[in-house]
Amino acid sequence: MKTFLLFLLFMFIAALVIVMAVILGDTGAWYFAWLVGTAMIVLVAAAGGVMLDAQDERRAQAAKEPVSHA
Amino acid sequence: MHDMTVVELSRLQFALTALYHFLFVPLTLGMSFMLAAMETVYVITGRDIYKHIVQFWSKLFLINFALGVATGLTMEFEFGTNWSFYSSFVGDIFGAPLAIEGLMAFFLESTFVGLMVFGWDRLRPGQHLAVTYLVALGSNLSALWILIANSFMQMPEGAHFNPATMRMELTSLSELIFSHDAQAKFVHTSIAGYVTAAVFVAGVSAWYLLKNRHVELARRSFRMAVLFGVLATAGVITLGDALGFVGAQAQPTKLAAMEGLWKTEPAPMPFNLIAFPSQTYQTNYGAIQVPYALSLLVTHSFTGSVPGINQLEAEANLRIRDGIPAVAALKTLSTDPDDAGAQAIFHAHEKNLGYGFLVQRYAPDISLVTDAQIDAAAHDAIPQVAPVFWSFRLMVAFGLAMLAYFVLAVIYTMRNIVERKRWFLLVALWMIPVPFLACEMGWLVAELGRQPWTVFGVLPTWMSASTHSVGYMVFSLIGFVTLYTAFIIVEMYLMVRTIRRGPDDIHGAPASHTSQAERLAGYAEG
Amino acid sequence: MDTYATLQCIWWLLLGVLLIALAVMVGMDMGVGTILRYVGRSDVERRVALNIIGPHWDGNQVWFVLGGGAVFAAFPLIYATAFSGFYVVMLLLLWSMIMRPLGFEYRSKLPSQSWRNTWDWALFISGLVPMVVFGAAFGNLFQGVPFYFEWNVTSHYTGSFLALLNPFAILCGVLSLSLSVLMGSVTVMNGAEDVIYERARGLARTAAIVAMVLFAIGGVWVHGMPGYRIARAPGAGVAQTPLQQSVTHADGAWLANFNAHPLLWALPLLGFAGMLLCLLAANARRSHLAWWLGALAWLGVIATAGASLFPFLLPSSSTPDQSLTIWNSSSSQLTLAWMLGFALVFVPLIIWYTSWAFYVMRGKVSAERIANDEHAY
Repeated sequence: MKTFLLFLLFMFIAALVIVMAVILGDTGAWYFAWLVGTAMIVLVAAAGGVMLDAQDERRAQAAKEPVSHA
Repeated sequence: MHDMTVVELSRLQFALTALYHFLFVPLTLGMSFMLAAMETVYVITGRDIYKHIVQFWSKLFLINFALGVATGLTMEFEFGTNWSFYSSFVGDIFGAPLAIEGLMAFFLESTFVGLMVFGWDRLRPGQHLAVTYLVALGSNLSALWILIANSFMQMPEGAHFNPATMRMELTSLSELIFSHDAQAKFVHTSIAGYVTAAVFVAGVSAWYLLKNRHVELARRSFRMAVLFGVLATAGVITLGDALGFVGAQAQPTKLAAMEGLWKTEPAPMPFNLIAFPSQTYQTNYGAIQVPYALSLLVTHSFTGSVPGINQLEAEANLRIRDGIPAVAALKTLSTDPDDAGAQAIFHAHEKNLGYGFLVQRYAPDISLVTDAQIDAAAHDAIPQVAPVFWSFRLMVAFGLAMLAYFVLAVIYTMRNIVERKRWFLLVALWMIPVPFLACEMGWLVAELGRQPWTVFGVLPTWMSASTHSVGYMVFSLIGFVTLYTAFIIVEMYLMVRTIRRGPDDIHGAPASHTSQAERLAGYAEG
Repeated sequence: MDTYATLQCIWWLLLGVLLIALAVMVGMDMGVGTILRYVGRSDVERRVALNIIGPHWDGNQVWFVLGGGAVFAAFPLIYATAFSGFYVVMLLLLWSMIMRPLGFEYRSKLPSQSWRNTWDWALFISGLVPMVVFGAAFGNLFQGVPFYFEWNVTSHYTGSFLALLNPFAILCGVLSLSLSVLMGSVTVMNGAEDVIYERARGLARTAAIVAMVLFAIGGVWVHGMPGYRIARAPGAGVAQTPLQQSVTHADGAWLANFNAHPLLWALPLLGFAGMLLCLLAANARRSHLAWWLGALAWLGVIATAGASLFPFLLPSSSTPDQSLTIWNSSSSQLTLAWMLGFALVFVPLIIWYTSWAFYVMRGKVSAERIANDEHAY
């Protein structure tokens, strides 16, 4: 249920972002947007990888010291 | 005079080879940047697993890349071999972006892809990362110039017809490069490639997670791919709308076909969610409509309206009649370029020269043209509605499905519970064909929707083809189908084999560093 | 001379430069493909030969793509008329060429010997056929090709496929093939050792001699061949179609430019000198020097052909009046100017980073390294 609500929330956010972008950018400076957007997509993906390692480490620590995790 | 069978066979051959080429291009466009993202993490964190990740995915990248390069050669040849009149008529404009593509992009991509493969031991990590970024930049710049060329066909800007040379000539390179169609189309296509790569990487990773193999590689790849994918999908949808908005103004016939809009309707217009268009009766069967939606989508207002097919056909009829004197005057000018009378007539009707060419299909001698021939040509000015209508809807449906998929995938992977959702991993695996199909549909909408023109409003498709015999066309079609079938079988076999063997085969040692127990501890938390 | 005519001449020269670059860079890779099964007798030896050009073949191939793109952009009517007229030959060229990327990338992906043999033959065909077609195309330019234009400049080719494979064209094709084998052999010498090196060295000597003989025969042949001469035309730097000139046949016309400007005889001499010195350098085991001399030979041969044909690009044998020249088939002034700007910026850049790529991958390729390198072809 929690997942479903999260899903709805994020879908709503995505729709909102798309509508905003559409309203702002009928015939926008898309080449520029591509540069910025690509950099952002690459960085977010990279951050996702780094974050997964951080989560793993935290969890490994927690497994070693269950008390401090609780 | 052209043989219409040859024209149709030329179209078929171009469509087959372009659609085939476009199976490999999107993956190259997206995967190159995804490799760059993965390698960035390797260089920043110094963790070996990311090097293994990059090297594994680059194996798949290269199998795909080779066929993309190979079939790209066909495209470079085909304008000249099969569309020779097109090539000489607009080569002054269309050739330039293709040549610039070679100079600026293709060299970059191809030179550095060699270093990307062979340079691991010879370059410092930072240097190799730069090489990977240059490959990604090169392949996407390549797409940029190709799509600038294509956008000239969709929305011919920055050019005029020169009777002295009997062809279109460039008037402004910057208008060509910065045309709204080119801008929206490049970004739409490039990030459609990102989506394709994201679905592919996430799907293959999901398969490993299902099989419980290479789990550490797969978890990281899946996380990175879906973050990459969710942003890219939102971008693709945004740009799809922008492209539709630009296209609505540039090519009303394509828009009418996409929406199955047989008659002009007053605003606010309803949107045909599902319908079965009939070209013969000029009507839709079984339409399910959403009120107001079409006005909102294509004009971004409730009060906007766009012309329907009945109105567009009537307008084409008038434009053809206006274009006929231009063609006649041009013929005089071809033998006597200085004939002042013909020059005056030509300039008065120049705007509709392309429409004059449209009726020449039926009236090779334009001075003998009849009303029936003009009606037939006006009827031709409308593309086949059903294929455009359905390709468009499938593309959009696939896009929205991928958005929903990625949003859910992000939720699962950020909470580290995706490994437990076996049904979802299966969905991810089965999503792999979807972006490829969506890309193919996008090509069909753009190119079928532009018919009967190769350059919209300027040059009809029937005139553009080379004057080959049917025998030649059958020969080349058989050759392409045979070779391409063999190639795709080999490529798919190598892809599947490389995926099945997985990264361990490449690096000897398993890429997994985290123990099963540690991962289970993680599950418990999530 | 006005700006437009100057630009047309510059682009004619640039096209020559691109064709020479194509012949040198793509030709050497195709040469390696052609001789692959001769210089490499075992799978490991063949992999050594392949990996010498492995990091570079893709970048080099872009000279071919750029050559096509430059003809399209600078001389669209040539691109349209030649590519559609030579339809079947172009398809053979294309079909053999598209096997090449797959040959490199897929060959060593599976251990099966018959799989690898199949791709070796594919690389052989995709090395041999395109170079023969490349030379044969030049041969046909000298003899003219049967085509005509309608009033709106729609081109029609009226000859047969077999007419393109006439004796002179085949001579030019084999000349082109021998130069490509020469460059391929020298390239293998640059990167290989021992037995592979010696086989390549032997082949380089043979190829150089064959090339010199064929180039000499070609020269004599052209001397006696009827050429084309412009009788009346709108001239350089004037917007025109090919329908406004008259062209006549004339014996020895292809040597007219050489007779008018004797300095041009330096070009064929350069060709011969390049081949001969390349032969000597290869024999003396100076393979890097031999590579540059082989490139010089290509330059001499292609420049000779260009100087001879000027200002013709594609003469029509059936309707000589509609022959294509630099003046009636080039792009507009604006396009030529823009393209020149892009070429001036990017060609030096390309040469710079291509050189860097060769520098990074310098040195000999050994069997041990391939065995240990999972990225190798």
